[in-house]
Amino acid sequence: MRKYREIMRAYLKTQLVWRADVAFHMVFIMSKVLFAWLLWGMIFRERNMVADFTFHGMLSYYIFSSFLSQLEMSKGISGEISARIRNGTISNYIVLPLSMEGYFTAMEAGVVLFYLAFDLAAAVVWVFLFRIEFVFTHSVTVFLCGLLMTVLGLFFMVQLNFFLGILTLKYEEISTFLMIKDNLTALVTGSIVPLALFPEGIVDGMRLLPFYYVTYLPSMLFTGRCREEAVKGIFILGAWCVLMQGAIMITWRKYRIKYDGAGI
Amino acid sequence: MTDSRKGPPEGTWYAVREAREMDCLPADTEGRNVHRCGQKGAYMKTFRVLKVLLKIRFQNLMMFRLGFWGPFFVDGSLFFIQLVIFDAIYANVEQIGSWGRGEMILYIGTFSLINAVNMTVYFFGVNGIVWKIRSGTMDLYLSKPVSPLFRITFECMNPGSLPLLAFSAAIIAYGLGLADIRVTAGRFLGYLFFLALMIVLYYEMEVIIRSVAFYLVSNARLEQLEEMGLELCMNLPGIAFYGIYKVIFYGILPYGIMATLPVQELTGEMSPGAAAHGIGIVCIFGVITAIVWKRGIRHYNSASS
Repeated sequence: MRKYREIMRAYLKTQLVWRADVAFHMVFIMSKVLFAWLLWGMIFRERNMVADFTFHGMLSYYIFSSFLSQLEMSKGISGEISARIRNGTISNYIVLPLSMEGYFTAMEAGVVLFYLAFDLAAAVVWVFLFRIEFVFTHSVTVFLCGLLMTVLGLFFMVQLNFFLGILTLKYEEISTFLMIKDNLTALVTGSIVPLALFPEGIVDGMRLLPFYYVTYLPSMLFTGRCREEAVKGIFILGAWCVLMQGAIMITWRKYRIKYDGAGI
Repeated sequence: MTDSRKGPPEGTWYAVREAREMDCLPADTEGRNVHRCGQKGAYMKTFRVLKVLLKIRFQNLMMFRLGFWGPFFVDGSLFFIQLVIFDAIYANVEQIGSWGRGEMILYIGTFSLINAVNMTVYFFGVNGIVWKIRSGTMDLYLSKPVSPLFRITFECMNPGSLPLLAFSAAIIAYGLGLADIRVTAGRFLGYLFFLALMIVLYYEMEVIIRSVAFYLVSNARLEQLEEMGLELCMNLPGIAFYGIYKVIFYGILPYGIMATLPVQELTGEMSPGAAAHGIGIVCIFGVITAIVWKRGIRHYNSASS
């Protein structure tokens, strides 16, 4: 465990080198809130409620969802693994005396911990700047469920991106697929618009998928909605994490022998 | 042996030979052509350069078949998702500002069309400017008897993005049907005019942002800013901006007018002031592009900048 802690610490320190990244990271949260402010501001001029959201309830949702989607920075993992398999340098990770997946998880944890405080500060600043009447859950249990779901969601996304990265061992060129995945993930995690706007049948289908629980449900829980789904959501997301772990182990065992260290 | 009756083989060597044959014209120190063969010869040469660039690009792209269609799948999914999002919003509201579902679909289709032309013609070339400056390979462009920016713009055309044009046209046709707009020949020509202007504006913005690499070690943040502005304005029509946001997205990062003005022209909402603003912005950014590029080339000192 100490080895992973050291990796986490190393990546946490590395982030300090790129100070401009921090500033832009905080601005990106604003772009999503600004989108919501302008679009929903125009819509709410003519009505008070849309899909059970008030204007400030909607903006509070966007504050949480943009905060969580900014924290989710694991998409670089699949690109890194894919590129290194293709140029033959994934050996650098394979020879390390620890699990490769554990390495990337620790790396992600270090990066997320670094940005956590900045993202939180940015969210608070935008709440005051846009004068949002912030809606927040009063239930400690719901808040803790949302917190646990967020951690599980971040872990699931690391697993997913690690899994997609090692698929390069079989499919060689997956960059197109990764870009399409990024587009789709933005939609199904509810980081562009709340999933509550979609027809009930589609939302029911999304409840079976893990993405519903990565950004959307935690944001809804933090704004005091969908409480009845909190515990069920944790179990469903937990089950997806177990399934994904199984898929990773099977894929890695089956295809790692294809890697010859010379690149593709 | 090569059978000459079958015409030239498809290998790269032929394209290279053809390119060498074109090098009959010398270049001055700034890479500009010295015209000897008259205006007609210059046009023919430009056409031949384009032909060779396209041929080399095709041979390169066909190596990875899925990658060939990659831009279509990636950008197609992006605009399809936008359609899904606004369909979900319009399932809950009748109008966003003065725009109904049809106008919004027209907006998405128009942005998709501008992006499709960008992806097909110049994006992959212009996107490589930063790397060429950093690695010093810009030397190869400056020493050729073709304008460096011309070659960079057209050397990475991507025929794999062509289906995006058809996809965008289908979205626009669908939007026109829903919006129930009477399109006259004048409005349609006006739409095409502003569409062409906005394609030029998109190009100018891309060149300006990447030309900053002539002066700075990294322009990654500017590219992120471009990405942020584009993402915001793809999802948000210009009619939503007001106050300081309008100043930013109509004047400083003018992504807000890109699809808005053509759609306003088509729907008859375009005011003379908005039209003049659009034309003025394209001219101003054209001048800025020319200044930034030309000064950048002078500032460029080979292997690093």
